[in-house]
Amino acid sequence: MEHVSFGRVYVWQLPVRVYHWVNALCVVALACTGYLIGHPFAIQSGTEAYNNYWFGTVRFIHFLSAFLFFFNFLFRIYWGFAGNMFARWGNFIPHRKEQFTEMAAVLKVDVLLAKIKPLPSIGHNSLAGVTYFISFLAFLFQSITGFGMYAAMSKSALPRLFAWIVPMMGGDFAVRQWHHMMMWFFIIFSIVHVYLVFYHDYVEGRGTISSMAGGWKFIEHEKNK
Amino acid sequence: MSTRIVVDPITRIEGHLRIEAEIKDGKIVDAWSAGTMVRGIELILKGRDPRDAWAFTERVCGVCTTVHALASVRTVEDALGIVVPPNAEMVRNLMFATLYMQDHVVHFYHLHALDWVDVVSALKADPKKTSELAQSISNWPKSSPKYFADVQKRLTAFVNSGQLGIFANGYWGHNAYKLPAEANLMGTAHYLEALEWQKEIVKIHTIFGGKNPHPNYLVGGMPCSVNIDEVNALNADRLAYVGTLLEQAYEFIDQVYIPDLLAVASFYKEWGAIGGGVSNYLAYGDLPMNGYADISSFKFPRGVILNRDLSTVHAVDGKNADEVQEFIKHSWYEYAGGDTVGKHPWEGETKLNYTGPKPPYDHLNVDEKYSWLKTPRWKGHAMEVGPLARVLVAYASGKKDVIELVNAVLKTLDVPVGALFSTLGRTAARGIETKLVAEWSKEFYQTLMSNIKNGDTRMFNKDKWEPETWPKEAKGVGLTEAPRGALAHWIVIKDKKIDNYQLVVPTTWNASPRDPDGQRSAYEAALIGTPIHDPEQPLEILRTLHSFDPCLACAVH
Amino acid sequence: MNASPLTLWEHAQSQGVSRRDFIRYCSWLAAAAGIEASSIGRVVKAMENKPRLPVVWMHFQECTCCSESFIRSSHPVVSDIVLDKISLDYTETLMAASGFQAEKQLHDTITKYKGEYILCVEGSIPTGDGGVYCCIGGKSALDIVKEVAADAKAIIAWGNCATHGCVQAAKPNPTSATPVHKIISGKPIINVPGCPPIAEVMAGTIVHLLAFDRIPELDGLGRPKAFYSRRIHDTCYRRPNYDAGLFVESFDDENAKRGYCLYKVGCRGPVTYNACAVTKWNNGVSYPIQSGHGCIGCSEKDFWDNGPFYQHLASFPGFGIETTADDIGLAVGAVTAIGIAAHAVTTNIKKRKFIQSEIADSETADDLDNKGGA
Ligand code: HEM
Ligand code: HEM
Ligand code: NFV
Ligand code: SF4
Ligand code: SF4
Ligand code: F3S
Ligand SMILES: [Mg+2]
Repeated sequence: MEHVSFGRVYVWQLPVRVYHWVNALCVVALACTGYLIGHPFAIQSGTEAYNNYWFGTVRFIHFLSAFLFFFNFLFRIYWGFAGNMFARWGNFIPHRKEQFTEMAAVLKVDVLLAKIKPLPSIGHNSLAGVTYFISFLAFLFQSITGFGMYAAMSKSALPRLFAWIVPMMGGDFAVRQWHHMMMWFFIIFSIVHVYLVFYHDYVEGRGTISSMAGGWKFIEHEKNK
Repeated sequence: MSTRIVVDPITRIEGHLRIEAEIKDGKIVDAWSAGTMVRGIELILKGRDPRDAWAFTERVCGVCTTVHALASVRTVEDALGIVVPPNAEMVRNLMFATLYMQDHVVHFYHLHALDWVDVVSALKADPKKTSELAQSISNWPKSSPKYFADVQKRLTAFVNSGQLGIFANGYWGHNAYKLPAEANLMGTAHYLEALEWQKEIVKIHTIFGGKNPHPNYLVGGMPCSVNIDEVNALNADRLAYVGTLLEQAYEFIDQVYIPDLLAVASFYKEWGAIGGGVSNYLAYGDLPMNGYADISSFKFPRGVILNRDLSTVHAVDGKNADEVQEFIKHSWYEYAGGDTVGKHPWEGETKLNYTGPKPPYDHLNVDEKYSWLKTPRWKGHAMEVGPLARVLVAYASGKKDVIELVNAVLKTLDVPVGALFSTLGRTAARGIETKLVAEWSKEFYQTLMSNIKNGDTRMFNKDKWEPETWPKEAKGVGLTEAPRGALAHWIVIKDKKIDNYQLVVPTTWNASPRDPDGQRSAYEAALIGTPIHDPEQPLEILRTLHSFDPCLACAVH
Repeated sequence: MNASPLTLWEHAQSQGVSRRDFIRYCSWLAAAAGIEASSIGRVVKAMENKPRLPVVWMHFQECTCCSESFIRSSHPVVSDIVLDKISLDYTETLMAASGFQAEKQLHDTITKYKGEYILCVEGSIPTGDGGVYCCIGGKSALDIVKEVAADAKAIIAWGNCATHGCVQAAKPNPTSATPVHKIISGKPIINVPGCPPIAEVMAGTIVHLLAFDRIPELDGLGRPKAFYSRRIHDTCYRRPNYDAGLFVESFDDENAKRGYCLYKVGCRGPVTYNACAVTKWNNGVSYPIQSGHGCIGCSEKDFWDNGPFYQHLASFPGFGIETTADDIGLAVGAVTAIGIAAHAVTTNIKKRKFIQSEIADSETADDLDNKGGA
C-alpha cells in the first residue's frame, strides 16, 4: 500500500466560519418559528389575551433572526469578492471545464457511490458550490418575500425596499404562500447538506466537518503546493 | 300590421334584460325575453371545496344577497347528511326575513314605484291635502303638511337645477299614470324615506353575518357564536339590537309600505286583469320551525298549482329526475344529448355556445337561440315562481294567516280572487308576504331567545366538517324561496371536490326563453295582451316586467 | 329645463340652507375626506362654485351588490348624494327611463358634459369571443366602456369586479372577465376594491372627488390610501388574541365563544387591505370577523383562487383540496430522509472495504502532520 501524506490548508477564514454558523442558526430558527407561524399550536385556552404573548414572541424571534440572517447574508455576498480564493464567487458559479467534470465526478460518488478519487478543488467541490449558489438564491427569495410581507407592518426603510414584490406576485397571500413553501427548501437542503458533509468527511477523510469550525482542511500532499 | 319593438336596457331591475315585442292594435301579441350577460359561475365552481361554494354562489347576486348562500349550504348539508342546530336554523330564518323585508320594500319604492308614481306631477301637489291623504291611510308620524312641503321644496329645487339625474327622460306625463298629484307626492316622500330605512333593517345581516351585502354563512350552521356574557360574541346587547331592528322594520312595513301599496293599487285596479301569464305556480317553501327535514313546519309551504286550480296542491320533489329539468333549445348552450333534451340538474351541463348576432346588433334571431338563460320546466310545465306563487300555494294549502291577510287585501281593494293572477296581483302578493314575514320574524326571534335562555347556544354542527368524514361520492339539493321565487342548487361531490354544481334560479323560471315545445315562460306569457299606449314609451311593459322584480344576474349566473 | 345648472351653493340656498350650515357641511365633507382644518376654506370655495358633478354608472358583469352597498351609506346618506351632491345621470339600477330613452340619456350626458363627467364602473368586462358575454342595447360591454371612458374626466372602478375581475374571473374565467384598468388607459382610474366595498368607503371616495375636484391620493394599485393602506389584521380588535396565540380551533368551539383570533380557521385578515376593521359595515355595526367568520380577503386580487377559505394557506394546484405546501414538503422531506438512510446503509456496505483500507493506511502513516483519516 502506498502511503499518502496530508497537508493542512487554511480554507475557511474566520468570517466565513462565523457567517456559516450564524446562518445555520438563523435558518434553523427561521424554519422553526416560520413553521409555527403557519401552524400555531393549540396550547392555550380559557385565558385572556393580556396574560399571553407566545405567538408574538414566536414572530418576534422570526423577525429578529430574519434581520440577522439578512445582514449576515449581505456580508457573505461581500466576502465573495473580498475573501480568500475559497470564499470567492468563482467557486459557486461553475464556469470552467474542470468544474463541470468535477461535478460529474462528485455526482458519481454521491449518487452512484463510486469510489472516491481525490478531487481537484480544495474548498467546496463544484457540485457543493452550485448547491450553495442555489441556496443563496433561495436566501435572496426568502429575504425579498419576507421583507415584502414585513413592509406591511413596518415604517422602516429596509422592508419598504422590498414592497414591490407584493403586487408583482399578485398580493400578500401569494407572497405568503411562496414564502411558506420555500421553508421546505431550507429544511430539505439542511438535511441533505448536513448528511453530505458527514458523508464526504467520512469517505474523503479530509476533515470536512471540522473545517467549518477551525478553518483547516487536509489534503493529499502532492496537491498541496 | 304589427310593429316589433325592443326594450334594452330594461332599467330598475338587476342585470341585463332585453325584451323584443310584437305590437298589434295597441296590444302586445308576442314577446321574447333575453338575458344578455353571462359569467359561468357553474363552471367556476367545479373542482372547488364544497364548503366554499356558498361564498361563490352568494356573489351570483347582491340584490337577493344571502339566498344563494343559504341554498348552497343546504345543498352541501343535504349531500353530506348534516343537520344544523336549531339556533342556526332560526338565525337563517331571520336572515331570510330581513332580506325579504329589505328587498321587497326597495323593489316597491325604488324599482317599481316610478311605473305608477309620476314624480314630476308631485310638484303640483298640495302638501296639506297630501298630509290628509297620508293620515287617512296610516298612523305613520311623518305625515305633517310641513313634512310634505319640505319634500316638495327639495324636489322643486332638484328639478329646477336642470340636472334631473335618475329621473331624467322618464315617462312623466304619460297618460297611463293615474294617481292624483297628492298621492304622487306621498309616494315620492316615501321613496326617500324607504331609501334611508332599508339601510337600517339590513343591520340584522351585519350582526349575524358581519356585513351586508354578502354576509357570511357556514356549512353546518352559522358562523356567529352565542355567548350572552361575552363582548366578542353574539351577546345580550347584540341580540337586543336585533329585536329593536325587527320592531322598527315591522312598523315601517305596517304603516308605510302596506298602506301605500293599497292606496296605489286602488287607482290601478284594471291591472288586476293584465299580465297574468302562465297559469302554473311553483314554490319550494321555506322558513322551517322544526328543522329543515320537517316540511310541514315550513311557514311557506311547498307545492305546485296547475291551471290556477287552487283546490289541489301537487307535491314537489327536487331529487326526482322527471320533475325539474332544464332545456336549452333557445339558449346559448350546448348539451351532449342535443338541443331538445331536458336535464335534471344533477346531470346538468353548462357549456357556453354563443350563436347570436355579432354585436352591435338590432335584433336577436328569436327563432333560434336568443338568451343566456336556460329554460326550466316542472314535469314539462312552464311555472311562475315568486311572491304570487308562494302566496297562492300557501293559500291553497290552507295556511290560516295567509288566507286571512289575502282575503283582507282583496276586500280592501274590492277585487275577486281571480285578480291575483295578474300584474297587480303579483305586486300585491309581494306586499302581503312582506307583512307576513315581518310578523313571523318576531316568532323566529322569540324562538332563538328562548333556546338561548334554556341553555342551548349551539350554532354549528362540526360532525361532518372535515373532508375525511365525507363519502367518496355524494349528491345533494338545497331548496329555498328567494324573494323572487323558488330557488334551488344541486351539487355532486366527488373525491371531496365539487364535480357538478347547478343553479336553477327564480328569474330563470320566469324570464327564460321558450322550451323545445314552443311554450312560453312567465315573462313572455305575461306580456301578451298588455296594452301599449305609445310604442315609443313602453311604460306598460315595465309595469308587468317589474311586477316580477327581474334579476338577470341571478337568472343566468 | 335650465341651461346652466345651479351651483351647489345656489342649490343649497334654494333649499333654505343657511350660509353657516353650508360651511358646516363643507367642513364635514372635509373631515370625511380626511382634510385638515386649515384647508376648509378651499373646500367651501370649491363647493360654492360647482354644478352637481355628472356621474355615469355602468353595469357590466356584476351582481349589483356594489350599488346595493352604495345605497347603504349612512354618512352621507345616499339620497343626499344623489339629489344634492352629484347628478347621477345614468344608472340602470335606479333610473326612471328604460330602453331607447335610457340610451339617449347616456348619449346626452357624455356629449353635454364631455370631459367633465365621472364614469363609475360596476362589474368586469368580458373580452372573450368579441364581447358577446355581456351586451346592453345590442352593444358589447367592451365597446360601451371604451366609448363612455373616452370623454370621462376620471373613472371609478367599483368593487372587486371592476378592479380585479372578481368571481367571474376566477379560474377558469370562462368569459375572459377583465377589470377596467386592463382595458382603459390614459385616464385616471380609482380602484375601490371589495366584494362589495364598504358603503362609506364608496361615499367617501365620491366626497373626496367633489370636495377637491381631484382624485384622492392612490397607492400603487390605484386604491385610495385613505381606505386601503392597512391590513385588516393590523386594525383587527382580535389582534391581541393573535399575538397571545389564542385561536379558534373550529367554529363555535369554546374559543370561538370567547372571540379568539380566527387565523386557524382561515382568516385572510393578515393578507387583506381594507377598512373593515376600522370603518366597519353598515354604519359601524360589525364586520366579518366580529361576527365570527374569518375574512375571506374580498378586496384582494384573485382572492377566489386563494381557497379553500377555511385553511390558512391555499391548496396546492394540481393536488387534492386539502393538500397544502406543507403536506407536499413533508412528503418530500420524508422521501429525502428515507433516501439518506438508504444511502448511508449502502455507503457503509459498499465502502466498507475501501474505508478499511484507508484506515489501515492512516494507521501506518508516518507523516507527523497527518492527523487525517476517518
Ligand atoms: C430561511 C429563511 C426563512 C424561512 C424558512 C421562513 C419561513 C417562514 C414561514 C414558514 C412563515 C409562515 C408563513 C405562513 O404560513 O403564513 C414565515 C412568515 C413570515 N416570514 Fe419568514 N422565513 C424565512 C426568512 C424570512 C425573512 C428573511 C424575513 C424578512 C423579514 C421573513 C419574514 C416573514 C414574515 C413577515 C412572515 C409573516 C409573519 C406574520 O405576518 O405573522 N422571513 N416565514
Ligand atoms: C450540523 C450542521 C452543519 C454542518 C456540520 C455544516 C458543515 C458545513 C461544512 C463543512 C461546509 C463546507 C462544505 C464544503 O466544503 O463544501 C458548509 C458549507 C455551507 N453550509 Fe453548512 N453545515 C451545517 C449546517 C448548515 C445549515 C443548517 C445551513 C443552512 C441552510 C448551512 C449552509 C451552508 C452554506 C450556505 C455553506 C457554504 C458556505 C460558504 O461557502 O459560505 N449549513 N457547511
Ligand atoms: N331571481 C333571483 Fe335572486 C332572488 N330573489 C335569486 O335566487 O335576485 Ni338576484
Ligand atoms: S365586486 Fe362583488 S359585490 Fe361587487 S358586483 Fe362584483 S361580485 Fe358583486
Ligand atoms: S381574526 Fe384575522 S385579522 Fe383578526 S387578528 Fe386574527 S388573523 Fe388577524
Ligand atoms: S372578507 Fe371582505 S368585507 Fe372585509 S373583513 Fe375581509 S375584506
Ligand atoms: Mg343554472
